[in-house]
Amino acid sequence: MTRHTVQVRPTPEPGTEPVFWGVDCGSAEIKIAAIDSTGRILELRKGRTLFPLVEHVHRALSGSAEALSPLAEEQRAVTPDEGTELAARAGHVIYATGYGRNHIKGVHGSLTEIKAHFLGVQHQLELDRDYTIIDIGGQDSKVIRSTPERVDQFAINRKCAAGTGAYIEELAHRLEVPMDRLPGLARKHDSDLTLNSYCTVFSGQEVIKLLMHGERVENLIQALYRSVVKRVLEMTAIDTDTLVFSGGVLEHHEILVPLFAERFDQIETIMAPNAQFCGALGAAVHAMKETQDHGLSHHH
Amino acid sequence: MTETSAPNIKQVMRDYFLDLDAAARDPGRRVAWCTSVGPAEVLRAMGFEVYFPENHGAMLGATRVAGDTIPVANARGYSPEICSYLTSDVGACIKGITPLTKAYGIESVPKPDVLVYCTNQCKDVMHWFNWYAREWKVPVIGIHPPNHLPEVEREHIDDVVIQYRKMIEQLEAITGEPLDEQALKAAVAESRTATDLWSDALNMARAKPAPMSFFDSTIYMGPIVVLRGDRRATDYYRGLVAELKAKVAAGEGAVAGERLRVYWEGMPIWGRLRHLSELFASQHAAVVASTYCNSWIFSDFDGDRPLESMAEAYLKIFINRDDGYKESYIERVVGDFDIDGVVYHAARTCPNNTNSHYNLPQRLKNKGIPGIVVDGDLNDLRCFSDEQSTTLVEAFLETL
Repeated sequence: MTRHTVQVRPTPEPGTEPVFWGVDCGSAEIKIAAIDSTGRILELRKGRTLFPLVEHVHRALSGSAEALSPLAEEQRAVTPDEGTELAARAGHVIYATGYGRNHIKGVHGSLTEIKAHFLGVQHQLELDRDYTIIDIGGQDSKVIRSTPERVDQFAINRKCAAGTGAYIEELAHRLEVPMDRLPGLARKHDSDLTLNSYCTVFSGQEVIKLLMHGERVENLIQALYRSVVKRVLEMTAIDTDTLVFSGGVLEHHEILVPLFAERFDQIETIMAPNAQFCGALGAAVHAMKETQDHGLSHHH
Repeated sequence: MTETSAPNIKQVMRDYFLDLDAAARDPGRRVAWCTSVGPAEVLRAMGFEVYFPENHGAMLGATRVAGDTIPVANARGYSPEICSYLTSDVGACIKGITPLTKAYGIESVPKPDVLVYCTNQCKDVMHWFNWYAREWKVPVIGIHPPNHLPEVEREHIDDVVIQYRKMIEQLEAITGEPLDEQALKAAVAESRTATDLWSDALNMARAKPAPMSFFDSTIYMGPIVVLRGDRRATDYYRGLVAELKAKVAAGEGAVAGERLRVYWEGMPIWGRLRHLSELFASQHAAVVASTYCNSWIFSDFDGDRPLESMAEAYLKIFINRDDGYKESYIERVVGDFDIDGVVYHAARTCPNNTNSHYNLPQRLKNKGIPGIVVDGDLNDLRCFSDEQSTTLVEAFLETL
């Protein structure tokens, strides 16, 4: 698997140069990315998706410590509206993506996660061939067939949460294993079990039954990961030679990557840099492109 | 909508239902129930007032009463996986409710003297009508045409005509009078005029911007469903065509700033029509054509050979054709209406009206016609996710 690292440069003083922000408001976490007009990454932050939504998005944007991970640079308290207004006043541009994209006031526009993940991946990797992005998120999985220029086709999980972060979370809960210990335990598996059920809750029942029969937890966790891979690959046929992984689940459970790779004869696998932030970065890239192409006439 | 003296859709439907209600209460008049693309012209010619349970099913969906009535039928052994028009309607009957009460002050659906179904769309209508036949001890007549045809051939038509003749004998036994051949010819000719006008109205959406969207058409199609063979349908569509012509001349579009043109394949999602209409409009996408609304174009009706032409028209409907026909049909309409992409509705409880299950979207994509599959249902909103489908549709429109 190929790995990439990306330099993050410090955010300039407000008003000194334009900054483009992307807000990816997902089901589990709000991710924020900022880039400068050359596309260089200035900031990446995240916080839990809490309610009222707008307030938390604005806190995340303004870098308030309360809602954010230690990635936050600026840690002074602001009012909810201040976050976007500050940015807008200083000539900053904000675009939103993710399930909450249409519920955030004060942004300049929005785009879907499909396009955002594509833009975030392509912006960082600059691939010159057709490829397929696999993005596993909190409540859905996406397979995005891309060309270097655009999204060609895509699929989103259609039945249940099987193959998503919610699925892993539910089974971790059933097994009483903290999420961060799952990969380590899976590496200790000694058999290739299969979980059959399509449904998250019924998978949980299968797991309980197997535990009752004395199955090792390590094997069940490995089966859970293989089940995620199966559910995602069932969504659509993959016809490119390159797979790019993005999204929070893959970033936190990289053990999935070789499991995807082993389902193909010959395929190049790439973990996108800042995988969890690809959506937010894509929104920032879109903000930059829209501004450069059309100016800032539309303020929604 | 431009003001004209044309009949108003609400008034046409109100008059139809009030008259039907009056007929059901009048011992001197007879009511027949008929499937939506069943032999309505014969029933009209024999003096029956005709009621269409599928139309009632759509009303249960659109008014979102179905959410309360489907589980009632499920509890009586009608699976959540079968036609949700059936389960909505049977559940409503068991609960003793109907949206006709709120809309028109009508206490209940009109009790039938006879039930007539045709399985040219699906087998579920047979189970549906048989439920009422058992429940109310009413005679039921079924027409079982050959299904899923690549071409409609002479022998298929003859088969259906034989079944029609047998049906007519049974109906004559109920009315006590022979079929009036002239009345049948007139009913079929009237149906033909109305369906030609409906076709003209739908074809107006070839204009850019389109004066009418799928979401309007699902409302405007009421009379061609429930009043075929009746003068009131013809009058209504004459007015509608005039209105649409005026809109086209004025350059008035159904969707502001029309940027994309979409084809809707499959059933409407009745309980979410407004949500979907607003979603497409927000992206400046006009849904300009659909399989569903086009299904009430019956260009083969011919008053001079009524039974044969009815058999032919009702056999030829899209849903009763094979996959090859469907593929070429959609391809043609996509070209005629200059469509950018197709939204396929995979309706959970209506596999017969769902054409995304056997690789059709992929085959059309290979011919340069992009598409997306939205999971949902005609009436059962438990099968539909607003959030997922919004993202799907928006992302699809972004790729066009």
